[in-house]
Amino acid sequence: MVNQKLFSKVWFIFTVFVFCLLPIKTDVVASASKQFVYDRANVLTEEEIAELERLANKYREKRETDFIILITDDPDGKDVKEYMQDFYDDKYSQSDGNVAILAMDLEERDVYVAGFYKAKKHLDNDRIDSLLEQITPDLTAGNYYEAFHSFMNIANRHMGFKPGIDPEWIFFKWWFQLIVSLGVGALIVKMMLRHTGGKITVNERTYRDTNRSRVLQRRDHYVRKSVTRRRKPSNHSGGGGRSSGGGGITKGGHSHSGGRRSF
Amino acid sequence: MLIHYKCPNCGDDMAFDSQSGMLSCPSCGRYDNIEDFSEEYITSTFSEDEANEYYCENCGAIIITEAETTATTCSFCDAGVVLGDRLSGSLAPAKVIPFKISKDEAKQAFQKWCGNGRLTPKGFMTANRIKGMTGIYVPFWLYDLHTKAKVKAVGTKVRTYTRGNYIYTETKYYDVFRDINLNYVKVPVDASRKMSDARMDLLEPFDYSELKDFKTPYLAGYIAEKYNYNNKELFPRVKKKIRGFIDSYIRSTISGYSSVQFKYKNIHTKQLHSHYVLFPVWMVYYDYNNKDHTFAMNGQTGKVVGQPPISKGKVAAWFSGISGSAFVAMKLITFFLGGGLW
Repeated sequence: MVNQKLFSKVWFIFTVFVFCLLPIKTDVVASASKQFVYDRANVLTEEEIAELERLANKYREKRETDFIILITDDPDGKDVKEYMQDFYDDKYSQSDGNVAILAMDLEERDVYVAGFYKAKKHLDNDRIDSLLEQITPDLTAGNYYEAFHSFMNIANRHMGFKPGIDPEWIFFKWWFQLIVSLGVGALIVKMMLRHTGGKITVNERTYRDTNRSRVLQRRDHYVRKSVTRRRKPSNHSGGGGRSSGGGGITKGGHSHSGGRRSF
Repeated sequence: MLIHYKCPNCGDDMAFDSQSGMLSCPSCGRYDNIEDFSEEYITSTFSEDEANEYYCENCGAIIITEAETTATTCSFCDAGVVLGDRLSGSLAPAKVIPFKISKDEAKQAFQKWCGNGRLTPKGFMTANRIKGMTGIYVPFWLYDLHTKAKVKAVGTKVRTYTRGNYIYTETKYYDVFRDINLNYVKVPVDASRKMSDARMDLLEPFDYSELKDFKTPYLAGYIAEKYNYNNKELFPRVKKKIRGFIDSYIRSTISGYSSVQFKYKNIHTKQLHSHYVLFPVWMVYYDYNNKDHTFAMNGQTGKVVGQPPISKGKVAAWFSGISGSAFVAMKLITFFLGGGLW
């Protein structure tokens, strides 16, 4: 009797659980048909495109953002930024879509990364700059696939952090966290070990006769001074090849964050 | 000369009682004030030979002692006896701090101490493994010291400011001089060869308000030792002991500088007085894993000193536990800031 009751209860919970899962499952299947990699210059193989699409699908669900890779060797005379903006107006204008996009122009050898809406907030100019910093060497070397792969991973990682935090902060690195925690553990255990034998409970004041201890004579003579100066570090770092274009607004009126590099 | 205290009531052996600070008789419960204990119940016997052999006044057995021992109990009848001639002349202590912690309290403290060792092996914490317990009056020298210190140093004050496109760092140098008189009083140094210096230092401080003029009945029922080193021999050690105090005092008189670099320190310490005193210490001998350990306790304040056995497993457990949770905590912060777990 009791067993039967229990059994029906478990069965009920199980059924509810399965029903809860079903809609999520179908959603994933439905979104699989979308295109994320637009290789208009044929620099990637079929397998590479499939792998990048798979990553984009995975991250799209997690971040509610489309991670797009747009490659061209003939941008119709447009700058890579404008080319990217027109692409967005064409594909996403209707839906105000959250999009992180990497546009590569093989003609001018320029790369531009932009974030729209949610991606604009979470992939701001600073984060895009650090992302570009990490993938440009691969692009220069012609390892396009590796660069795009890193773009997917880094953009996805950066998208997770709350706005205003530097995702490349050393505190977030696992090896830094490991070193610090081992250090903290060693320090505390060392202190515990030292205290097992008993603590010193006398100090300088314990035996001092305060009435008959004093400074008889004190002198603090100013002798000389030395002054050194250095130039104030300027805020504009500006250097070769990294004209940081920043964000912009598309013709369709969509504002975005952004950054660019030549490779 | 051997001194033995007989109860005026019942004739049993009397011993010092740490609770009341009086001589007490365990048989009939009589208490006697040490200051006015009647002479007629103190039996003193002089041995003819150079006082290397003492006969117990109570049972007549030979009392076997080491050369340093000044008070002990007869190993046959357990009567507390004091070897008076080892406490007279230059060997007479000026003051004594009597025991305040009783044997039972010391035992409880030891057991408690065994129990709360976070790094001690598990078996150690529960087992009752006391092999022996002794209340010892340890000989100390108390020094009153006068120190004259003259120091010269270079102090710097650093200031930074911005003018135009430049950041300026201005360093001002000062000639610093101090002439200091320092007096330290009653700095204790243990004068027993048997006791480890480091361990005795850790037992400090003793409360000097309870220093009493020395009377032999305080020692009845305890072990006492005479000093192995005289005040001259221990003077270098007391100087070394207060050197850190002097340095920190000097440093405290030089303030307001970003950095201080000493040119010279001329420190001269001389002894004003030194007193021979006896301080109470409980020693507990115990064994663990066939190794003998000692545990010392300040017989006045109850402060505990001793190196317990350390369990490697527990050290490793604490280390990994703390490191692990620190790592998890940092991962959690990362996670809440949106970094994901990996």
